[in-house]
Amino acid sequence: MNRFFNRCASVRRSKLNLLSVFAALAMAVSACAVQPPPAAKLPDQAAPAQPAASTEPIYIGVSGPLTGPNARYGVQWKKGFDLALDAINGKGGVRGRKLEYIFEDSQSDPKQSVVVAQKFVADPRIVIELGDFSSPASMAASPIYQRAGLVQFGFTNSHPDFTKGGDYMWSNSATQADLSPALAEFAHNTLGLNRLAVFYLNTDWGKATYDLFQKHAQKIGAEIVAAEAYLPDEKDFRSALTRVRDAQPDGIVLISYQADGAQIVQQLATTDLKVPIVGASSLHSPDFLRLGGAAVEGVYIRGQFSPEDPRPTVQAFVQAYRAKYNEEPDFFAAHAYDTMNIVAALIEIAGPDRKAIRDAFTKIKDVPSVIYGKVTFNPETRRVANPQFVDLIVKDGKFVTWDGSQKAGR
Amino acid sequence: MPEFTLRTLADQLVNGLVIGNIYALIAIGLALIFGVANLINFAHGSVYMIGAYVGWVCVTWLGWPLGPTFIVVAVACAALGVLIERLGLRRLQSEARIAPLLATIGISFALDQLVQLIFSPNPQSFPSPLPATRVMLGGVSIGALDALIAVITVTSAAMLFAFLRFTRLGWALRATAQDREAAQQMGVDVNAIQALTFAVAAVLGGIGGVMIGMYFTSVYPTMSYGAMLKGFAANLLGGLGSVPGAVIGGLLLGLIETFGVALLGSTYRNLFTFVILIGVLVLRPTGLFGARRAMPPEPLTGTFVANSRPVRVPRFVVIGGLVAAVLLPFISSNPYLLQIFTNAWLFAMLALSITLVTGTAGQMSLGQAGFLAIGGYASALLAMRLGWPLELSLLAGAAIAAALGTLLTWPVFRLRSQYVALATLGIGEVINQIILNWEGLTNGVLGLSNIPPLSLFGLPIIETSPIYWFALAMLVVAALFQWRLMQSHLGRTWRAMREDEVAARAFGVSLNRYKALAFIAGGFIAGLSGAFTAHMYSYINNETFAATTSILGLTMVILGGMGNMSGAVVGAIALTALPELFRPLADARYLIYGVVLLLLVRFRPQGLLGTV
Repeated sequence: MNRFFNRCASVRRSKLNLLSVFAALAMAVSACAVQPPPAAKLPDQAAPAQPAASTEPIYIGVSGPLTGPNARYGVQWKKGFDLALDAINGKGGVRGRKLEYIFEDSQSDPKQSVVVAQKFVADPRIVIELGDFSSPASMAASPIYQRAGLVQFGFTNSHPDFTKGGDYMWSNSATQADLSPALAEFAHNTLGLNRLAVFYLNTDWGKATYDLFQKHAQKIGAEIVAAEAYLPDEKDFRSALTRVRDAQPDGIVLISYQADGAQIVQQLATTDLKVPIVGASSLHSPDFLRLGGAAVEGVYIRGQFSPEDPRPTVQAFVQAYRAKYNEEPDFFAAHAYDTMNIVAALIEIAGPDRKAIRDAFTKIKDVPSVIYGKVTFNPETRRVANPQFVDLIVKDGKFVTWDGSQKAGR
Repeated sequence: MPEFTLRTLADQLVNGLVIGNIYALIAIGLALIFGVANLINFAHGSVYMIGAYVGWVCVTWLGWPLGPTFIVVAVACAALGVLIERLGLRRLQSEARIAPLLATIGISFALDQLVQLIFSPNPQSFPSPLPATRVMLGGVSIGALDALIAVITVTSAAMLFAFLRFTRLGWALRATAQDREAAQQMGVDVNAIQALTFAVAAVLGGIGGVMIGMYFTSVYPTMSYGAMLKGFAANLLGGLGSVPGAVIGGLLLGLIETFGVALLGSTYRNLFTFVILIGVLVLRPTGLFGARRAMPPEPLTGTFVANSRPVRVPRFVVIGGLVAAVLLPFISSNPYLLQIFTNAWLFAMLALSITLVTGTAGQMSLGQAGFLAIGGYASALLAMRLGWPLELSLLAGAAIAAALGTLLTWPVFRLRSQYVALATLGIGEVINQIILNWEGLTNGVLGLSNIPPLSLFGLPIIETSPIYWFALAMLVVAALFQWRLMQSHLGRTWRAMREDEVAARAFGVSLNRYKALAFIAGGFIAGLSGAFTAHMYSYINNETFAATTSILGLTMVILGGMGNMSGAVVGAIALTALPELFRPLADARYLIYGVVLLLLVRFRPQGLLGTV
């Protein structure tokens, strides 16, 4: 090896500098990494580690995007979590201890989410983990959580295989198996649309939703005349819209997120195609209204909660959200809010113990929820059974419950 | 319905021309900078994004009309352009070309994050203040904004043409682009000209940003990367450094994309673009309009590889480091630390493969993540569908990555210097698109889940420490293999080829075969890393090995020192650990990362351990 490294004369000064810089770097990393001693191998310890009288907060780990292209979803999560914690800790917390979360930015990137996972499993304070956002980031970390016996509560993970990663993987995300038929029935049966043009986000979520949507639409007798898949970074829909126009649909279905959904509707407004638009529940967001402006007026959404819903859970959430953030709540924030409440219910039963929390998923029943009404987990699928849907329409720049009038009247 | 198709055709033509106009504006800026400074400016996309934000602030916050908005955007972007030239280029002028390239990557990181911190990561609504009415012109429907975009692009291009053609300053600029030294000897202040070039390029980029903001009715911090990719592609299509080429390349790109989408759908947009781009490059290696511009006479060394003395790492340090690495799990059983280093070893393998292809053989590769992806998918599929034992599927995955990746890169072999870099970027994109669209094999966006975990001779390797050792062992074997290659006759031939292709050929070296050998060896190592990653993650899809991974790998190599194997490992450790080190900074950590990268380049432009 000498011959190779000796090929050129040495430059001593810079070498020393470099080595010391490098050594300092290495030391700093290890210093950072040295958490409280890794007594974290908790899975087999049944009893809570600390005495019940402890006043230390109970910590929840969150792995999600705070920087990078998906950062906006992480920001929405935080709003939902904070709102739920305000209420939970305002009432004295859980088992007399405050609930807090540690949010580690993963950029929704698998090589960072696995590192974050290792950080959480090694930290004995963390009793449950929430996230990550995208499937590649979440499912790459699953083996680590499963092995360490820390619940990975992937609350936005609709990927059908997510909860199959192990018995520590749980999710309260509606799967496409529920969402897609509901969307198809809304478009065809309720709104009476027969020739559908579908735009869908070409991610694991959008693709799976579309596949099931298409099957169900055919079953109930609706024709899909155009299907346009697009990638998350797509912005230019004009060419695709021209194609869709030529297919002469009588309705457009959006299996989209807020920003891309708003773009499609806006760019659609510049064409002469004027047909009703029906969106999936993910469009239920003030961002969709803000980005879409006047163009999104009259868009139908098969939502999962309505801000006007008189249920006290929904009203408590909507009122508190408006008061705290001075904006309308969205689907992602509502989901995060629900999730934190489920976590509180779990810890209430199980105490701050990793394995007991996993077991508590089968014990909690009818936890009040903004999105589901009441949440009970199915121990087989490790998901929530029977999500509910409400029909919304954008009216005067707001989401309101659709009263069944002005059918297909855009 | 013949009239119907005609209308569709006309509408798609307008769609393509409008977006093509904006690509052209970005491409002109890149072409100017490339012509004068011989630099691929990675920060150009960020300038375009900041231009869009400045315009958005003027229009939606201040309620200004478009005229003053464009003036403010132009002034702000010009200032930003001059600043980038100062920070990223001027001080690094005497260093290797690679240093400014890395500096612009650092600047673009920092700028993107800064905007995200100020304006939040949420996209902002940018309603066009123009009327939404559309007029029918001979059966073609054209909106006010479409017309404005066309008018502004044509005006800008005409003004630029007049400036370059008829003013003394423009002559000085062209003279600098033709021959910097000669221009300097004739009394041209080349530094001032260079700053001017950056300013002009930034103004064009910024105006393009404002218009795209209105066209897509929103601005968002991450809009820079995609725009840059399109700018590069348009440039390559037209011929690097050619301004008319950039305009026509941009328009062509817009049309190709639009009709590609019209034929196949949006998901195929980039596949279509890059396949055509590579096709054009193979037929006309200098782009469509670069023919009369001779290839830069300098060999690649002058362009990319710094003249520096590498740091001599004594053998005891290498061995000491290795021993420390092996013993690490005994010193600290913290899985967080071990996972960071496991990632570092896997990235070090990617960096080794890049340093071999780029540093030793002189083929600048920006598509090396494609090899990771092929390796990962091949190994996962062999283990899942055919039930191969893991050690076999890992090796087979690596071999398939080497073979398939090299085959796909074959058309690039006749290209030189920067063209290779951008064409490999395109190939990386093509591989990604194939994975996305070949659903029967790869399961498309749903990806492959439940990939069998790592194991060795039937023993599962699932705990953190054994995975760490496994990755380290693979790295050591790969490094020894590569080191032997570099010591051999083959290594000398690669270096000869890197130093001077013409001379190497004169000595009877078959360039294509030796380039292929470099890609095969490098591809094998990268493929092994990708295969290992797939089994470690248990789930992969098209996003797992994203194109930005290639850029990250190259950054590691440049940071450590081109062609320097210890440098590649050090660079990989540094860039894996730094973002973790900055974790307490939360939202600001990638901003700081960009600034640190910039400072490292500023004070150590030939890489931490120097270029071999």
